[in-house]
Parts: sequence; C-alpha cells; structure tokens
Amino acid sequence: MSFASLLAEYTTRPNIWDEMCVQDEIRNHYQVFFDSLSQVSPAELSRKDELAKKLFMSQGVTFTVYNDGEGIEKIFPFDIIPRIITATEWQHIEAGIKQRIKALNIFLKDIYHDQFIIKDGVIPPSLVHSCPNFLREMVNVDVPFNIYTHISGIDLIRDSDGSFYVLEDNLRTPSGVSYMLENRNMTYRVFPGLVPRNNVRSVKDYPDLLLKNLLAISNRQKSQPTVVLLTPGIYNSAYFEHTTLARLMGIELVEGRDLVVDNAKVYMKTTAGLKQVDVIYRRVDDDFIDPLVFNPGSILGVSGLYYAYRKGNVAIVNAPGNGVADDKAVYPFVPDMIKYYLNEEPILKTVPTYAMENPDHFKHVFGNIAKMVIKKTNESGGYGMLMGSAATEQQVGDYKKEVEKNPRQFIAQPIISLSSVPCFINNKIQPRHVDLRPFALYGPQGIEIVPGGLTRVALREGSLVVNSSQGGGSKDTWILS
Amino acid sequence: MLSRVADAVFWMARYMERTDNILRALRTNYIASQDEIQNFDWQLWIDGLGATAQKTDVKLAYREALHHLLLNKENDTSVITNIVRARENARSVQDYVTKEVWQSMNDYYHLIRDKHTEYLLLHGDPVTAFDNLLRESTLFYGTVDITMNRGEGYTFLNIGKYIERLLRSLDILELKLKELETNDNEMVQWKYLLYSLSGYEFHTKFYRNTLTTESVLHQVISNVQFPHSVFYCLLRVERYFKNLDTISLPEHYKELEFLLGRALSNLRYGMPARPTVEGIKPLIESTRIEIKSLGQKLAGFYFGYS
Repeated sequence: MSFASLLAEYTTRPNIWDEMCVQDEIRNHYQVFFDSLSQVSPAELSRKDELAKKLFMSQGVTFTVYNDGEGIEKIFPFDIIPRIITATEWQHIEAGIKQRIKALNIFLKDIYHDQFIIKDGVIPPSLVHSCPNFLREMVNVDVPFNIYTHISGIDLIRDSDGSFYVLEDNLRTPSGVSYMLENRNMTYRVFPGLVPRNNVRSVKDYPDLLLKNLLAISNRQKSQPTVVLLTPGIYNSAYFEHTTLARLMGIELVEGRDLVVDNAKVYMKTTAGLKQVDVIYRRVDDDFIDPLVFNPGSILGVSGLYYAYRKGNVAIVNAPGNGVADDKAVYPFVPDMIKYYLNEEPILKTVPTYAMENPDHFKHVFGNIAKMVIKKTNESGGYGMLMGSAATEQQVGDYKKEVEKNPRQFIAQPIISLSSVPCFINNKIQPRHVDLRPFALYGPQGIEIVPGGLTRVALREGSLVVNSSQGGGSKDTWILS
Repeated sequence: MLSRVADAVFWMARYMERTDNILRALRTNYIASQDEIQNFDWQLWIDGLGATAQKTDVKLAYREALHHLLLNKENDTSVITNIVRARENARSVQDYVTKEVWQSMNDYYHLIRDKHTEYLLLHGDPVTAFDNLLRESTLFYGTVDITMNRGEGYTFLNIGKYIERLLRSLDILELKLKELETNDNEMVQWKYLLYSLSGYEFHTKFYRNTLTTESVLHQVISNVQFPHSVFYCLLRVERYFKNLDTISLPEHYKELEFLLGRALSNLRYGMPARPTVEGIKPLIESTRIEIKSLGQKLAGFYFGYS
C-alpha cells in the first residue's frame, strides 16, 4: 500500500475546516509535502513514528510523573506530520497578535495606574476588582519600559470558515515554546530534506530574541547584566523547558533557594560568594514568588524579592499581576480595549463570550447547553471545564449548582469546532482537531513573533480538547515563506 | 557558578565513578566465581558494598546476588540506584552539563532499566550485561571529556570523580583483605584485586615479577602511574583543586590547600617500606579520615552547606 492510497482513506468531517483538504482536493500549500511522501509506505511512516519516540526518550524531552519516588518518564505525544500555514495566513496572525498584545499591555499599565478605561466606562470596575489575579501590590508600580507582557502565548483556533479566533491570551508564564523548538529538530530527523524543500521559516531565533530583550531591561549600568531563569525545580512538569531555555540562552537556571535578597538587591549564591542578579525570567507563578508578600507558605520563591522589584533593583519577567488581563471574564472586552487604546478595528476575531454573572446570559447558556462550553475564568490546562455537547444531564445539573455559587468565576462560549489536520495514528492518516499557540516577545524595541508556534492536537477522535493534561499531543508547525 | 550546581555536578561525577568502579569489580569477581575461585562468597560483597542498615542474613545464589547488586531499586547501593541518583543530579543541572552529557547519562539510565539487561543477568550471560553497561560508562567519560568546557564545573566534576575513585580503591582493597582472612590462596586473590582495578597487565609490566603482597599494595596505594592508585587520585584532586585559586575566598583556599597537603604527606611518608596485610590497615584508616574532613570543608566552602 502506498501513501497515496493511505491518503485516499482520509475523510474530512462536514462543517469543519480541514487544513489540508478542501472537498477531497489537497490544498496548494500541502502539495509539496505530500508529493515528497507519495512513495513512502505506511510501514516506513510507522518506523519514522518509532524513531521520533525513541529520539524524544533518549534526548530526555520528557515530563516526569512522580508517584513512586523515581518517577515515570512520559513523552509529550508527537505527531510526525507537520501542520502547514501559508505566508498570507501568518501575516494576518502576526499583525493580529501584535495589535492585541499592544492593547493588552497598555491595559495593564492603565489598570495599575490611572484606570482611564474604567473612568471612561469601557470596562465595569467590578469586573477588574473582583478578579483574583488583580494584584493590589502592583498598583502604581512602574515597570521597566512599561512592558508587562514580555512573553505571551496566544491560543488561536479556526472556525468552519477558516477564520482565526483568539481563544485565550496567556500572559503569565506561558509554556510550550521548547516543544516548538524540539518538534522542528525532530522533523528534520524524521523527514530529511523536507524542511528546506518546503521553504519553511526557521524558529531558531527564539532564544536569541528573548535573551536580547531580557538583557535590555536590566536597570544596572553594566555591560553584562546578570539574567537568570527562576524555576520551581525538577518536579515541575515544564522543567525540561526551563533547562532548554536556560541552556540555549546561556543563563543560569536558578531555584528559589539559590537566591537571597539583601538591602533590596537580589543575589545568587555561587562558589565564589554572592553575585547580584539584574533580571529574573521567572517560571514561578505570582502567588509563589515572594512569601513575604504573597503566599506565605511558598518555598519556591525568594523572601524580599518583591521589595527589590518595587525598588527597581531587579526586573521580573513577566511582570506580576498580568492575570487580570488574561482572565477569561476580561477576554470579551479585549476588542473594546483595542478600539479604546489604539483606535483600530481588531484584526483577529474573538469568540462570543457570556458572563455567567449576567442573568440573561445564564438563562441563554443553560437553555442551549448542548452548543456551549462553560469554563472557569482562572483555570487553564483544560481543567474545570464543561463541554455541553458531551455532558450528561446529571453533570450539567451539578455544574449549574457550582456556577450559581460563584457566577463571576465562570464564562460560557459557543463550542467552536476546531480545524482539523492530518495525523498519523494507528498506521492511518486521520483528521484530528488542533489549535495554535504562537509566542510573542515584547521588548524595548517592540513586539516580535518567531514564525512558528506550538500546534496542539486532540489525539482522541472527535475530541476538541487539546491540553496536554487531557490527552493532547503536538506537531511541528511550518510557516511557509 | 551556583553553589547548588557545583554540588550537583560533584555528586553526579561521584555516582558515575562509583558505578563504573563497582561494575568493573563485580564483573571481575563474577568471572572469578565461575572459574578460579570456588565457593565465591557473594555475601561478603553484598555486605561490603551495602549499607549496614540493609544487611540480611539470607545467602543469595550468584544470579540473585547480581540482581541485588545491580538492579534492586530497594538496595541503596545498587548500580541502578547510583545511576538514578547521578541522573537526578544531572537533571537538576541540565542546563549546565552539555546536552551530549545529559543524553549519554540518559541512555545509560534507559539501558539499565531495559528488560534485556535484566534477562542477561538472570538467565543469559551476565558478562554481556556488564560489558554493555561499562560501554555506556566509557561513553559518558568520553562525552564529558570531549564536550564539557574546562570551567569550574569541570573542576568540581573531576574533584568528585577522583575522590570517589580513591575511596572505591580503598573499599575494594579492604574487601580483598577480608577475603584473605578466610582464603589462603593469596596470589589468586591479589590477581583478582588487580583485575577489578584494571591493573593486572600494568603490574606484570611494571613490577616484572610474580605477584607479591608488597608489590600489589605498592601499586594500589602509591604507584603514581596507576590511575586507580590512592596516591594518583589524590594528586589529581590536588591538580584540579589548584584551578579554584582564582575564584575562591583566600582563607577558604588556604585551609583546603593545607588539608590536601596533609593528606598527600600522610600517603607519601606513611607508607611502610615493606607493606604487609596487617601493616597497611592504619594507613587506610588515616587516609579515610583525611578525605572525610576534606570533603566536609569542600561542601562548606563551595557548595553552600553550613
């Protein structure tokens, strides 16, 4: 059996945008890739699949699940067939994300200072002040270059007509960028020659761009500022990413216990004594960075860190308090922010969102529950979510009670059928649903987006949940030039 | 570099060196038990390598003994435990060691967890299992040598490696001295001691005689050309320690320099002119004490232990 016959079995579902096929025709941008594969047998593909698994394992590109002391190595499932995005589509995405990040960043500056957007009646004050991630500690704190969202991961999905929607803005400590880099490394091992033949744009610049931005925000008059990456430690599921980024940027990977604050300056403990730290790229959540100010039980942070930050002696990336801007209840107001701050029309679409606080919305949502998904405003990773189409009456009833208890913590959206892409599963090419998370870097010189991103795949047939904690995998993402 | 990182690199090197030394010793003794030495006492090795708290009275047959010494995760000193610990240390400094070193460590880990390794030890040819594992170990040393930069991390890595090797040589020597108490074939025991330390061929070339207690003890303790001799290892520690001069606080450096000098002198001048089995024991004991205080100071000054 050849690849072509494998492909003939590929059937797309109605009312879903398939990224490869349109009415059994292969779209232009997938043509080169599939032509090169036309002579490859399924057995060969499955060998490639095995190779990828083996490489991930031996390179330790794994996350560890600890339950018997030693821990079990798991690889984040990887599908070998790349997801391809055209140059035009990318231009649109890039412009849209830049616009959005710019507005969100001004929003953060505004909300922690003068709050013009509230005074002008664009956003209700209750919305902001009821948000658990609004940090009063950040009010009137000036951050270097007025940048809050140095690194953001914007989750995009495609509706049945192919248009891109923003599903979520991740402005706190978005992860997954190491998989964007590793997946590309895997592709040129699995399909030698195909990346150059398809004119795929490189993602390798990411660590350099990030380091450039981190160095630039140091406050100290020094030719070589000290930049560190603060990790919660080896038990964190994203630890592999932390080590990868630290290695690629050549900066120290530190844990909270490696740092100490003295006289409002942050130092790391080295073999040669204490050394001052200028910039901290932290992968520890707001709540844990300083036990004196936030969660007093935290051992992942550093006592006094926040004071040093307010004094301007150390820069923290991303800024604390960004959670108020990626709160799911604030999300529907982002188009208004774009109009208010930038006087522009939003480039990327936003999914209609119902605030469960609003009794009319509440009624509407539970009246049409089969077409709705209800989410908690502050949860991520696909937790605490109800997919109306897949829930039993009992589940809906229980969930409704939860929502009634604290409606501010819930929003609802119509279920959007994510676009599908070909995946190699069980020796067959099958369609699976995907999203896309490009990573935007905001530095003193502006916003840059590496041409690529993390494509997450819902590996279960028909599933729309792509989160890695819920049976999701990933793919290499090709942006054509 | 970060104190925590220096500590982890130091211990990674120690666990890897420990693994290598134990594997070579066990391989040699397994072969001896199949051939020249009748009624090989595996219990002696299990007790000798094991933690006192984990002693059992059960006599294990050779395959079970091998399984216990290599693959038993409950055994605190088994080879797999050592590799897991080396890897955990490497993981916590994954950004510091090179990607190649991390991968080689990772391959080692996956090999010892491989079902085939267990099969070879329990049902197949254990020597093949030893050889496969030792190849990974050798690859690790080569990868470190070729890919790691010669900075501070490399210094601590080597200090750890040679301290560990020194202690292993003492351990294996002491085990042999114990075996000699119940076994009168001294020549055969000395031969396998040297095989365990990869030093038999060297002995025949260097001493040009049959094995004598004197020459064997000289080789294991004092011979500066023998990479497993106690004296050689300590000289290496001294050599790498000197690299720390520029980064250390002067008082810390001086204190350690003194301790190292004392340990070296103890070996240089404490070695009996005609060493005997009984006569060497005080030197072994005093060397252990010197190394222990050295290690404690190192941890206090550089690794942030207080």
